Amino acid sequence: MDPFFLWLESWPLGIWLREAVTIWAFPFVLILHTVGLAFMVGVNVAIDVRALGGASGVPLISLRRYYKWMWAGFWVNAVSGVLLLIAYPTKALTNPLFYLKLALIGVGIKLAYVIRGHMLKGEAGAGVAVSPRLRALAATSLLLWVLTITAGRLLAYTCTRLTVDTSCG
Amino acid sequence: MWMTINDWIYSVWMSVMQWDWLNDQLRSVLNTLYHTPMGEFMRTSTWGWPLFESLHFTGMSLLAGTIVMFDLRLLGFARAVPVHAMHRLIPVGIAGFLLNMSTGICFICATPDQYLFNAAFRWKVIFITIAGLNVLFFYTRVFRRLESFTLEHQTPPLGARFVGGVSLMSWVGVMTAGRLLTFFRP
Repeated sequence: MDPFFLWLESWPLGIWLREAVTIWAFPFVLILHTVGLAFMVGVNVAIDVRALGGASGVPLISLRRYYKWMWAGFWVNAVSGVLLLIAYPTKALTNPLFYLKLALIGVGIKLAYVIRGHMLKGEAGAGVAVSPRLRALAATSLLLWVLTITAGRLLAYTCTRLTVDTSCG
Repeated sequence: MWMTINDWIYSVWMSVMQWDWLNDQLRSVLNTLYHTPMGEFMRTSTWGWPLFESLHFTGMSLLAGTIVMFDLRLLGFARAVPVHAMHRLIPVGIAGFLLNMSTGICFICATPDQYLFNAAFRWKVIFITIAGLNVLFFYTRVFRRLESFTLEHQTPPLGARFVGGVSLMSWVGVMTAGRLLTFFRP
């Protein structure tokens, strides 16, 4: 795999992201990735807390428009994530935790849409009790996002190779 | 413009720090924090720091999920959501904020200098202060009138939109400054 990683690391965009001494390079991409995370996970927190029975005066279905913000956060993070990957391909691609994180994001989004299915059927209207099934889904969703965040954060501490030629830490 | 404000904050900070009494007090507080078991734990434990960072990002998501989503509603987004009922989500955001104050203080205990002499940290404190004053303004001036604009599809009054906008921008500011902390380490 090393020749492939070396080739990726030779891209001018990656070199600029790694080496430019300006906050508009690597730091700015990290900021986008953090704000995107706040919106993407944030929308899920709002919907999950409601589906767990919180703020019961809010009909669950009225929150459906927030999915737009979840996708806005997702795309900001897809783009900023690819940029982070271009900057340090070896660091992420040689760490199994990176693939776990991607899988967790996939399951998290799938679950958000299973919950959306319950939402669109009119479950958890204003003042209406939430079914145990929906509660379980919401609790699982919250747990998965916490695990995703943890996996993402741990990437900085569990990597073994920063680039092909340098090791982490 | 940001650099001009940054220079101004720096000069204010430096002139405040000319005040020996305050400087000594601050030093002794940070020195005490440094020698707490928590500070020791954060410096020596392998997984303490990464774990607390994960909690810090989780707290941020709880805050974003309730307070920022409420801000969007105040700005006029998702008007089908009853504002007064949605306000019940706020305690989750406060829990997130408290989680982040706690974990944040633990980071400061570990390496006080990294924060005290850091331009990004000063910006972060300023943004949190703006958000706090905005909360005060919201509960003293805007909250009582929430009942009157719960109607669907009604444009929220100017006060509500102002509060929502300021809150949204200051929390994004907090996240931005927080993320920049590492790059402004002394």
